[in-house]
Amino acid sequence: MRLPKFDYLKPRTVDEACSLLSEHKGEANVIAGSTALLTYIKHRLLTPKYVIGLKGIPGLDYINYDGKGGLKIGALTTLHALNTSPLIRERYHILSQAAAQVGVPPLRYMGTLGGNLCLDTRCLYYNQSYSWRRVRPLCFKAGGELCHVVRGGERCYAVYQGDLAPALIGLGAKVRLVRTSGERIIPLNEFFTGRGESPNILEPDEILTEVQIPPPPEQSCGAYHKLRIRRAMDFPLAGVAVVLAMDGKICREAKIILNAVSSAPFEVREAEEMLRGKRIGDGVIEEVAEEIFKRARPVANLSIDADYRRKMVRVLFKRAVKQALSAKS
Amino acid sequence: MGRRIIKLRVNGEDYELMIAPQRTLLEVLREDLELTGTKEGCEDGTCGACTVLLDGKPIRSCLLLAVEAEGKDILTIEGLAQGERLHPLQEAFISNGAIQCGFCTPGMILTAKALLDENPSPTEEEIREAICGVLCRCTGYVKIVEAIMAAPKERKWQNIL
Repeated sequence: MRLPKFDYLKPRTVDEACSLLSEHKGEANVIAGSTALLTYIKHRLLTPKYVIGLKGIPGLDYINYDGKGGLKIGALTTLHALNTSPLIRERYHILSQAAAQVGVPPLRYMGTLGGNLCLDTRCLYYNQSYSWRRVRPLCFKAGGELCHVVRGGERCYAVYQGDLAPALIGLGAKVRLVRTSGERIIPLNEFFTGRGESPNILEPDEILTEVQIPPPPEQSCGAYHKLRIRRAMDFPLAGVAVVLAMDGKICREAKIILNAVSSAPFEVREAEEMLRGKRIGDGVIEEVAEEIFKRARPVANLSIDADYRRKMVRVLFKRAVKQALSAKS
Repeated sequence: MGRRIIKLRVNGEDYELMIAPQRTLLEVLREDLELTGTKEGCEDGTCGACTVLLDGKPIRSCLLLAVEAEGKDILTIEGLAQGERLHPLQEAFISNGAIQCGFCTPGMILTAKALLDENPSPTEEEIREAICGVLCRCTGYVKIVEAIMAAPKERKWQNIL
């Protein structure tokens, strides 16, 4: 699979990158670790005239912590750096665990935090080569008027399969988005649209530059478990992130984020309510698992059965909550 | 803009090449430098046959634009042997029967080198984790893991930096 012709631009600052995106609106894409975008271009899902390489921009690769402001991570920080940072492992263990489960080591050396958050949604019928796709009519995500998965469906059901987002939402993360006209800081759960066609709110000339996480609350713990057939490499076929703040044996605060069963990671607030103020015993865990199962509505657009993915959500939650609690003690 | 001159440092040697921006490092290594030891497998980053070391770390050369490899130290499988003398990893792979068709072998050996350079006595679990990014359809991995466990004990290892 050869890449089609494009020009490669190498801005030296974020401002320059945003200007280039603005100048070449509609004809440019950015690459950071270059592990995701090049595959899209090889499949002709995207055919930019300009590829803007962000790797050369200094000052976007950092992990800074202070007790008051919490953690600030530059968007070009690699997944490997996230996974091996002693600071993150100690204070935000769920993030370290999530980063360790992305892909394989070479992809973690190349891939970045920003790139993983901005991953496009995926579907069996979309992420295929040009020759595979051209025998079928265009789907919603590709600019057409139907869905190949849900016959008669009226929207795109493509799945969000990034692994860092659920952990970061659980940690209360915010993202800094920069464009030529200024910048904004948005809670990460509001960054995602829930729409398969366009999963996040980035404007065409906007770049995600930083992730901010508040200091961990007292007695907090968390875990992220993802479903995949192999023990490495694959995108999640389902995922559950659990972040808890405990008061001894009582749960003070809970965040439960369901991943890879819809077009965005989402908080299951009803399940969180069921944990708040309670002692987390087997009975409560079963009830909460059932609630999460009810809220998960995957469709048949990944490589395994949607039914199985849905059932596994219960198992992933139980594993995550038990691991989080045992790590804490 | 089109083609431009880039400098690549491959196996300790500097090359000045005229390269179009959409060429991947894999293509440039194989076609422009005729270093065909690095293989083209899946072309989308999933198989690991294209693995080379970039500043000592294994990466997917099929997913790296050649223009982005400037200023880095690139090591391909051709860079391991010194003339007729094979690297201890290569010796270990041969003597442990870790090679069948040989297609995954360059990626496996380079990944193993990166591991052993950082962790000279890995456990079996650590080896399996390190090579999880390279697929082998022939061997079932057992001999490959044995070869990597055996390599550090090769006497020659002490002479290799």
